Amino acid sequence: MEFPATLFPSSFSTGPPRDEGGPAPAAGWGEYGQVLEAGRGHHQAETRFVPRHGRTGESWEPADVAAVPFLPPNATCWLPLLAPQDILYRSFLHRKLQASISGPAVDFTKQLSHFFVDHPEDAFGSLGCLLHKNFHLGDSGVKREARDNTIRMTALMEEINRLDARRGCPQKYLASRLRWFSHLSRDWLFEVPIGLLADCVHEELLLQWAGLLFDDGPTGGALAWLPAEDTGARTGRLVYPGGQAMNHLYFQDVVLKELPSARGSPAEFELNGRIRQVAAARTNGEDFVGVRSDYHCGIWRVPGRTGAAPTPLQVIRTSMPASCLTVSPHIPGELAVCTQSGSTYLWNIEKGLQRLRHDSQTMFFRDHSPWRWCDFTAHPRVLSCADRTGLQCLDARAPERCQLDLFKVGEEASCQQGERVVLPMYLGRAHPSQHLVTTQFSMYVVDERLPLVPVLKWLHMMKAPPLFAHLTPGDPGRSHKLLLGASRTQEMMLLQYQGGGQLACRLVGPPQKLHTITGCLEHFPTQLPHRHCLLQQRLGIPAAGLAAVLQKHGPRESLLVFQLSEAGDIFCQRLTHEVAQPLARTSGDKPTAAPGSSPLFEDPASSPQHLGSEEEKEEEEEDEQTSYLSNLEVMINEEEDGGRPAFLEEAELTQEPCASPQPSPVVLSEAVALRYRRWLKALSKRCGEPPWPSCPTTCGQKRLFTREELQTQAGPSILHQQARQRMHQAMREGGRIQCWDLLDSQSSAILKPPEPVEGPDSLSARLTAAWSGDWSQWWEERTSFYRTQRQRALRERRRRQKRARGRRSLSASFTSSLTYQSELSELSDTGLPPLSPTPPQEGFPPRGSPPPSPVPDEALLSSQSLRIRGIPKERRKTLRDYLGVWTESPLEPPELPSSQVSQLCIPSSQSQLSSASQTRRKRPRMGF
Amino acid sequence: SSHEHKLNFGKSKEMCLNFIQDAMLQKQWNRAAEFLTFYAEALEKDFSRDYMGPSEIIWRIGTEILCHHSHSGMKEFNSFIEQMKTFGVKRYLKVCLEHSFHLLCNGLVDEAYQNLSLAESWRFGEHTAIRDKEIKLIQAYKGLLDYYSWSKQKNILLEHDEDEFEDLSVEQEMHSYFRKAAVNLKEIIKIPGVWDIFVKCYVDLLEFYGDDEEARQVLSEYAYNSKFPANPNAHVYFYQFLKRHGESKKSLISALKILHDLVPSHELMINFNTMLQKSKKRKNRRLGLQVIFAVLDYAGWKENVKAWSCLARQVKQIVISDKHPDWIEQEWDSRKDWWPAFHFSHYLAKKNWQENKSLSYEKALVAGIILGKDCKYFRYVSHQGCKAQAKKFRILKKFVNKHIPVHLRISG
Repeated sequence: MEFPATLFPSSFSTGPPRDEGGPAPAAGWGEYGQVLEAGRGHHQAETRFVPRHGRTGESWEPADVAAVPFLPPNATCWLPLLAPQDILYRSFLHRKLQASISGPAVDFTKQLSHFFVDHPEDAFGSLGCLLHKNFHLGDSGVKREARDNTIRMTALMEEINRLDARRGCPQKYLASRLRWFSHLSRDWLFEVPIGLLADCVHEELLLQWAGLLFDDGPTGGALAWLPAEDTGARTGRLVYPGGQAMNHLYFQDVVLKELPSARGSPAEFELNGRIRQVAAARTNGEDFVGVRSDYHCGIWRVPGRTGAAPTPLQVIRTSMPASCLTVSPHIPGELAVCTQSGSTYLWNIEKGLQRLRHDSQTMFFRDHSPWRWCDFTAHPRVLSCADRTGLQCLDARAPERCQLDLFKVGEEASCQQGERVVLPMYLGRAHPSQHLVTTQFSMYVVDERLPLVPVLKWLHMMKAPPLFAHLTPGDPGRSHKLLLGASRTQEMMLLQYQGGGQLACRLVGPPQKLHTITGCLEHFPTQLPHRHCLLQQRLGIPAAGLAAVLQKHGPRESLLVFQLSEAGDIFCQRLTHEVAQPLARTSGDKPTAAPGSSPLFEDPASSPQHLGSEEEKEEEEEDEQTSYLSNLEVMINEEEDGGRPAFLEEAELTQEPCASPQPSPVVLSEAVALRYRRWLKALSKRCGEPPWPSCPTTCGQKRLFTREELQTQAGPSILHQQARQRMHQAMREGGRIQCWDLLDSQSSAILKPPEPVEGPDSLSARLTAAWSGDWSQWWEERTSFYRTQRQRALRERRRRQKRARGRRSLSASFTSSLTYQSELSELSDTGLPPLSPTPPQEGFPPRGSPPPSPVPDEALLSSQSLRIRGIPKERRKTLRDYLGVWTESPLEPPELPSSQVSQLCIPSSQSQLSSASQTRRKRPRMGF
Repeated sequence: SSHEHKLNFGKSKEMCLNFIQDAMLQKQWNRAAEFLTFYAEALEKDFSRDYMGPSEIIWRIGTEILCHHSHSGMKEFNSFIEQMKTFGVKRYLKVCLEHSFHLLCNGLVDEAYQNLSLAESWRFGEHTAIRDKEIKLIQAYKGLLDYYSWSKQKNILLEHDEDEFEDLSVEQEMHSYFRKAAVNLKEIIKIPGVWDIFVKCYVDLLEFYGDDEEARQVLSEYAYNSKFPANPNAHVYFYQFLKRHGESKKSLISALKILHDLVPSHELMINFNTMLQKSKKRKNRRLGLQVIFAVLDYAGWKENVKAWSCLARQVKQIVISDKHPDWIEQEWDSRKDWWPAFHFSHYLAKKNWQENKSLSYEKALVAGIILGKDCKYFRYVSHQGCKAQAKKFRILKKFVNKHIPVHLRISG
């Protein structure tokens, strides 16, 4: 073990950190740190210098534009994440409290009131039982004989009910009766004394809040890669948690190809709690996998050869949650465990547990966090113990006597104020005596042989503290690759460093950001808005671990990085070493639409290439149409998925044009696109549809008909088929359907912005006119228009009075973009083609009659046809009115007072429910 | 609305910065440079009292971009840095220092020297602790460059030693370099820190002019002053100095003993062990055994043949002489519960045999003596050795069989 002959210069002082600051946005850039002469011979004229923070390193380029799903989505019953507004005061009280109290104002009264309402039995059960004879709640008076031990509570109840109504009233005050009652009953009414309960709830909420700010549970990460025994084999095993509560442990064999794929089904173990951390190390040719959940830690042995089954060895239970589990890289079956009570144990599967330290206080200065960490060092009997204030080495043979301060948050490492240790890691595979220490601001490399002075320090500029790290050691002369990963923001950073042996440790090359799971969103096929939102939430779940594999095939090297989310989804991405790459891309400044490195594109027969070149051509033309075209995304009925026409796949390959200033290569490789689609399909299948938590609850008019009532018995109609055919054709041609008029289909290709329905409101018409510059003309028209309009309005009113019935209001909903979805779902089920935002008058050709007429087919409205469809007599009239609305004058809707329109626009929740309970279909949708 | 304006301004500034960072982290330097030109406008309104104002951000980001940008050369870089120097008094020294680092790394030593001299004479702004440190560092680097010039002159002189007509000017120049270097280097090594390179240069200067006493003092101060961090190199330098000057074995041993206490896994421990083994004193030989056992505790030495052969030799010596088997016993006592799994497993026997036969021979010898002939490691290696018809291994087997009582004593 060589030690560098000269180290980089640095000054050393002791004491608390002096450097005030905090997260500075660009602090990691632009510094060489220090320089050192590199290999100067005595007779050499030129002295060469190397910097501590080098600018040139190996270049690792991402092979794809985004991370790719590796496994199908985890079937998790996923709850939306806790948001700050769930537990904080949000009212005027909040402002008041904020002024007086520093720190979060936790809304525990809301939680308490929920508890009282939802679980009255638990809250007031026994007293309720005792008193229910003595409390009279009826309207009648209390009978004379019972009056001795019964009181009438009706007035009190009324008072309580009135409280609700008075909410929001500035002058609200509690009625004296209520105050009297609460004062009287406060001490005895509650099952659990209210003060105690409130304390506990408050405490819990504060904990939740702390967890929301920073959750150290997943520290270390719950993803591990076990390489195959012979390094040449392109296989390995991925260990990850999954299942509904993330309590299943999976060992999945993986074949590494261009894209990694799972082989066979994984070995599965069901555990007794949510898996927080998976740690693995290889000793004597066998992998040992440690698994940490809150109160249990377990160890598995996995033989090195592929296909051998993992065997569980031992489990320990802790009374306090464990915060750390690391596996010894030196001695088989040895682990280190820390609990939040401040205890550190060495755990050997043969010899059991040995407590090395128990100290509820932190090491170097006082910090409230109970988090502890422990890892191995170059000496198999010496462990490094960490808390938020620093690291200490202690010898397991004499833990009380042999201690050594390895890293201290303080002036020694020139830390900033408020800096805390987030994750220590033993870097033994790069150099036996190196350790990584990350804080929320910086990353340090510490050498055991030079304690307290970090041999490398770099401000990582990550938005969230790095909780995960992975080391890929480099061959001699090459750099070690260090991946840092954050949980909440899913950030991943690739760093390279060298040295530790002969040469001093130094950073080589600029840091590099890797793709995140969230970044995949734009590469998924476009979704309906609520699904898009849900997908966004799903992809945005904090990360829970990372792992990486270095693959060497000939001169090419690639680094495969896996990222696990807290929902149990695993995504992967590949970085390739530039030098070895045959087609070296200039580092991404000008993204080309040309296909990337995927071998699929080399096949001349494959379509995306063609599509890509076409797109380029169109781009040259600078036709507005192109942007529409590349936006064209099609959602297809799921049942159709099997025999999906090829052009649809093509259509999905085009990506939306760069809306953000982020330049990303435009085309995904087909294999990748396929993975996205499969993943999405599996997601909607597995995770079920109805309990969309984010679905906005809407209310409105009651639905008129059920779907069955309007459905024809005879399958999809001719019209339906025609519409579908036309749409396919349009997509094949890359055009669009301007209106559903079948005759007109060939005429115009360019979609103008939807004309406002004639005179929806005068203001917008006027503004439009003013915009285009002929405002005066508008005024002329307007004055003449008013005359005719008044006449027409009079006529209209008379006609309406004649009819004087029916709810015509639905027509209004067509003018609303808010509601077209749900309306659409019902309408298209009737066999009518979907709406485009063009006026409904044009948009709806009647069923079964190819030459369209502006009036709905009489046949549809005839009472006979309605009877055939099984629509009850009393509803037929309404239906006729309902459908008749379409034929009415376009001037009609604007006459409704605007407030009424908006009220009526909202579709009924019932209708939504009904469409949701049907087999939900993705419908063709265009132009949005 | 002015508040709102300010808010929006801040927001767009932040967004711009995010874009820059994003581009840089994806190595899109051209794009980052474009954004930076927008961001530079933010400087006009820099009233922020933040820890890091826009001017520092621009300096840092600009430097980084210029280092990677395909169209930038030294000229652009220098002009950018010159601008940056005028932006802030507080950062002047830091920017100067970093600038000289850049010049040094690009081989422009003379320019770097000029830069450092300029920075040294900077007299503006208030005096702070950080500033003092920075100026000391600037002077130290200047001293270092002076040292390099000195050593260049020295080499010229040494080469032309034979020529009598050597003019005095070269020598004088050399001496002036010496004075300049010595003054500055002497200053920096008084401050606690890791100053390996400065100490080495300073000691070299002193030794050349025959000031050994001063050199010894500097080195022992650097190694033993408790205000300095526990830097193994400081002890190494001291040891090397002692060795160069032919100091007694005793002082060498005591210097290495301290290094052993600090870093038991240091590579000098092998030398230390051989030195101790040769010693006539029992105490030293005992220490030698401790040292070599301690070295092999570390994962980094696990497969080092030299270390294993040192241990094997000493163990063998003890067994043959039958003088102090209790030494082995005592050393083994604290290792018996983990060395077998760490060093002598069946897996390792196979692996060592495949990869390095001589390593497995040395290890098998130690294993055989300490753990007996039934030890997995010994059994595998001796079996394979006998199969391969290696005489060495047959002798080994005989030797171990002969000394079973030692093993019984150790394990008993």
